[in-house]
Amino acid sequence: MSSWHQQIIGNTNSFNLSSIVNFISEGDAEGHKILQWLSPLEPQKRHQGVRAGRVDGVGNWLLETREFRKWRGEEDGCVEPVLFCYGNPGVGKTHVR
Amino acid sequence: MQMSLTISSSSLVIDNLCDQAEGKDVAVVGVYCDFLAQEEQSTTNMLGAILKQLATRGGISDYIREAFQKAKKEFGGRGLLLPDIVDMLKKEITSLPRGYICFDALDESPPKHRQQLLEAVQEIVRVSPNTRVFLTGRPHIYDEIVRYFSKAVRIPVCPTQADIKSYLEKRLSDDTDPNAMDKKLRADIMRIIPEKISEM
Repeated sequence: MSSWHQQIIGNTNSFNLSSIVNFISEGDAEGHKILQWLSPLEPQKRHQGVRAGRVDGVGNWLLETREFRKWRGEEDGCVEPVLFCYGNPGVGKTHVR
Repeated sequence: MQMSLTISSSSLVIDNLCDQAEGKDVAVVGVYCDFLAQEEQSTTNMLGAILKQLATRGGISDYIREAFQKAKKEFGGRGLLLPDIVDMLKKEITSLPRGYICFDALDESPPKHRQQLLEAVQEIVRVSPNTRVFLTGRPHIYDEIVRYFSKAVRIPVCPTQADIKSYLEKRLSDDTDPNAMDKKLRADIMRIIPEKISEM
């Protein structure tokens, strides 16, 4: 990709919806074909839907747990790389309609 | 809750990681597994989606462009195979100081896909120890996870009383028929439902 095609503004994580601009420019038709070739799935769309339905504050405690903070942490190596958050259909995952 | 708390947690964690990553050379990528999309969500497509997110974020590497051009010439466009994707993912992720990979609702993927996913993730983490992996799912999936990551850390996700109250308040404020509600009914809802849930 020619470098003049590239524009980097702010956070370019594809999950982060504040990032409108990414590395693949509008004019890079082949680039878009390649992305489609890599996968037809678009998890960021699902992410948008899920976050739109989220209730403010619910589940925030998770981000404060020692396990989560340690896992997210900056230090390399010594931390176990995998964090598994589990819920039972009978408890967290089902419905309080 | 109408939206499962684990899926809500996944999106919360992803947003939190993205906020932390702001301005840093950190990638946050992932897939929400969906029982209803099993056919489309092959292992190749799911890992391909991770690769796609990395490429969207950091630009398409030359070797990926070359592979695409080569594949285009074969049989009028050959699809990617799982080992190709895993190799590309390993290359991409090792070039990053830190990458977070998230898979929501692993149990909604068929067992064969889960096994392939976990194998691939194990391989990725082996070559790139700076990668962190966030998984959610029903408790029994842990048995499968520890086969690949014997020390995987577990956190149970259950709604706290505060979660239930926030949720109820939101639902009550969204009520399309507010006339049907009075102070006493509201107070009863806010008192009784959290009690009943904590008894479950």
